[in-house]
Amino acid sequence: MVKFLSDEWIALGKQYMLEQLDPEKDMKHITTSILMIIEHVPPHDTTMNFYLELKEGKVNDFTVNTGATFTEKEAVFIIRGNYGTYKDILQGTLGTALALLKNRLALKGSKMEALKIIKPIDGVIESLRKITDEF
Amino acid sequence: MITKKGKPLEKIGLDAAVKIAEKGTHCGMCRIDFLGTGLCPSGKKHGFLAYWPQGRMELVKHLNEGQIKPTAKLLEIANSCTLCGICDKQCNFATQLRPEKVARALKDYVDTLDTKDLQVVPKDDILRGLCEIVGENWATNDPVIIASYVRSIIPPDAELNYYIVMPETTEQVAQIIKFANTKNIPFLPRSGGTALSVATPTILSNATSLEHGIVIDLLRLKKLEVHPESSSAIVGAGVTSFELQNAASKQKLRANVAEAGAHVCANIATTGVVTTWGNAYGCFADNFIDLELVDMEGNIKHHRDIDISNPYTTDHEFTNISLSPSYVITEAAVKLFPVFDDEDAVFVPFDNLEDALDMVLLLGKRGVGLSVAVLSYKYLAEFICPTPQIAKDFEDICKNYIKLRYVVDVICNKDDKKIVEELAEYTIDHAMLKNMILGSPKLASLKESEFMKILAEEQNPLKAIFAGPMRVHFEKGLDASPEQLAKVYDADLQDFFRKVYAKPEMSDVVWLHAFRILPSRLMRQRMTMGPGGAVWAGDKDHILKWVRMFADVGDKYHLEHALGFISPLDAGKFIYIEYDYFYDHNDPEVASRISKTLLETTEKSLVLGGVFTLINYLFKGIYRKEHVLYPLMKGLTKEEQMMFREVLHSILGEFEEW
Ligand SMILES: Cc1cc2nc3c(=O)[nH]c(=O)nc-3n(C[C@H](O)[C@H](O)[C@H](O)COP(=O)(O)OP(=O)(O)OC[C@H]3O[C@@H](n4cnc5c(N)ncnc54)[C@H](O)[C@@H]3O)c2cc1C
Ligand code: SF4
Repeated sequence: MVKFLSDEWIALGKQYMLEQLDPEKDMKHITTSILMIIEHVPPHDTTMNFYLELKEGKVNDFTVNTGATFTEKEAVFIIRGNYGTYKDILQGTLGTALALLKNRLALKGSKMEALKIIKPIDGVIESLRKITDEF
Repeated sequence: MITKKGKPLEKIGLDAAVKIAEKGTHCGMCRIDFLGTGLCPSGKKHGFLAYWPQGRMELVKHLNEGQIKPTAKLLEIANSCTLCGICDKQCNFATQLRPEKVARALKDYVDTLDTKDLQVVPKDDILRGLCEIVGENWATNDPVIIASYVRSIIPPDAELNYYIVMPETTEQVAQIIKFANTKNIPFLPRSGGTALSVATPTILSNATSLEHGIVIDLLRLKKLEVHPESSSAIVGAGVTSFELQNAASKQKLRANVAEAGAHVCANIATTGVVTTWGNAYGCFADNFIDLELVDMEGNIKHHRDIDISNPYTTDHEFTNISLSPSYVITEAAVKLFPVFDDEDAVFVPFDNLEDALDMVLLLGKRGVGLSVAVLSYKYLAEFICPTPQIAKDFEDICKNYIKLRYVVDVICNKDDKKIVEELAEYTIDHAMLKNMILGSPKLASLKESEFMKILAEEQNPLKAIFAGPMRVHFEKGLDASPEQLAKVYDADLQDFFRKVYAKPEMSDVVWLHAFRILPSRLMRQRMTMGPGGAVWAGDKDHILKWVRMFADVGDKYHLEHALGFISPLDAGKFIYIEYDYFYDHNDPEVASRISKTLLETTEKSLVLGGVFTLINYLFKGIYRKEHVLYPLMKGLTKEEQMMFREVLHSILGEFEEW
């Protein structure tokens, strides 16, 4: 098994999203961009940034870096949370929408618009869930 | 086992104790000294919920079901109880339960344990870290203590992998949050636990409880200073509504507070203090001058800080839902209001809602009264009556015999009282209200009596009883006295309750409205769910349509239901409505009907539009009412309605469609 957030995991994630998600059925043809900031990533308490761009339901860009800032691209939504929250989401013990409404994830951008894309995003997470259970 | 007075105590086993414990609803009345008995010495000393009667009742259930094993702490919890009996008095006033029996059963049970068999709970890194912040005594991972928080912040079926921590200062709260974040563990503050326990039996539990992690019990933040010169008070997060009101009243001042056991800061965070005093005293950010907050990163902030980007703004639309606080309020500077010597209570009885609503809307707009509300007969009965059975009979009399279905309930000064009396054909005055409180058992016993039958035949029974020739007979018949009232209590508590009800404040309607010790009776031995929200006061038909919707859904799911209250807000521009559903919280079938009712009434409210529902209300208390209530959302479109359902599914998990 690959470790969550390792280079291998990121590569597999990208591959999964490209190959396994149906732009129509799973992704509802959405066009948007999301920057997910994951804080307190162990073991060195780092911050990781995941930038995901979707065009008509297809993954157009998936950029990952480490560091407190991410200036490369501007996203429609910025979602910030700690590693534990993302882990709970990936393990299925916490839904993305619930994490947002429970303030576990901080959102920059319209909540209304964010909740509209929750279903496709849940689909992405569902697909990523299959990659690993090693945290 | 022997009592302090040397009498042997009847033994009861854990099974019998569980029967008592199951009826508890975490109203929290055993954590405030509202009857002058003092507080549970064990809880006061040790703090954690497990040492309070309420928590002891909760943990006994888990012990009996084998979900937790005895630990050394269990022995300490059981033995710290002095069998003083304070809890029996407090709990009996609110719910008629006997928690001391549970405490005794626990003592008997631990006497049978061999200390060699006790489960040892090792400390881990997280607990060590928390102890470094708050000291050894104020953080724990002991499952027995954790179990006491089930149903008031921990969901009923959760594995007990939690930590409980009791900070004493804002700095400690900040450090705990920073620590939780670096350790990647979720956390949630707990105050009085009443709002959390109302949500627990329903589908909302998913959304409002903590699924694992650190419970931050705020009880130790007890700072309380009243500043009469500026009519304000500084209130720490551990201070309850009752405690603040008590301190304020000593300076002839009054706070705008929720039910007695709710913590003031939690109340500001959760619902923004919605009360019947709201039209005169305010709501949302009107209630405070400043807040000390800890954000989700563990930074200490103040509302007054120049670098907080507008602290009062919140977004609109129906998806503006927060199910947890975005800040922990550790301290609030709140406004206090003068208490006048000529304050009085005057109630106007109605047999229909439309007329009562007309009057309350008018009083709201004219700014008459300090506390103004329409109450249904059900609220009145629950509040006034000492036991559930008396309340039931009282209700029957109100509804079916004397046609007292609604009252406009006004606390006001002398001048405003005159206005109310001029507007009403007849009123219920303070003397009559006192009689109804102290005479409630007698009134309830008149059900099916000849007197009631004759009254029911009258063309206007309300007028006959409150303003006509029958008033004298009625008052005489009530035989109202502390002695009569005390007779409804268990024999060993009668003497105590005779003295309690002889205290003037216990039948002083103004005092009762301010100190809010009666609302806990809404959750005596069963649960209440009270959806509703705010609506503009300008369209009466719209308001009535909304109320009817709540009633129709209640009928559809065969629930016991009634309007709770309607109160004006913001100089009468708004009204707040609470509609109540009552149910047995131990029955999963009825709890599921309550969940459906909650979902269906929320969806129907949003489709109706022009209303601000309870689910949108939650955690908006730190904002300005102008930002929250203007403009109200239009009704949902079909597409938005579908989206609302999708959002609900993804936040609440799978549930049956309604
Ligand atoms: C019988 C009854 C009567 C009620 N009457 C009123 C009323 O008149 N007016 C009214 O406004 N509400 C009323 N309520 C609703 C509710 O109980 C209160 O609004 C109150 O906020 C609950 O306070 P608590 O201390 O019990 O909070 P809890 O149940 O402990 O917490 C409620 C929520 O607030 C969070 N929280 C706790 N402390 C803090 C804090 N310091 N900072 C930030 N978040 C915090 C918790 O995590 C939880 O999510 C009533 C409820 C009941 C059951
Ligand atoms: S008898 Fe009740 S109030 Fe007294 S110490 Fe025991 S639990 Fe507390």
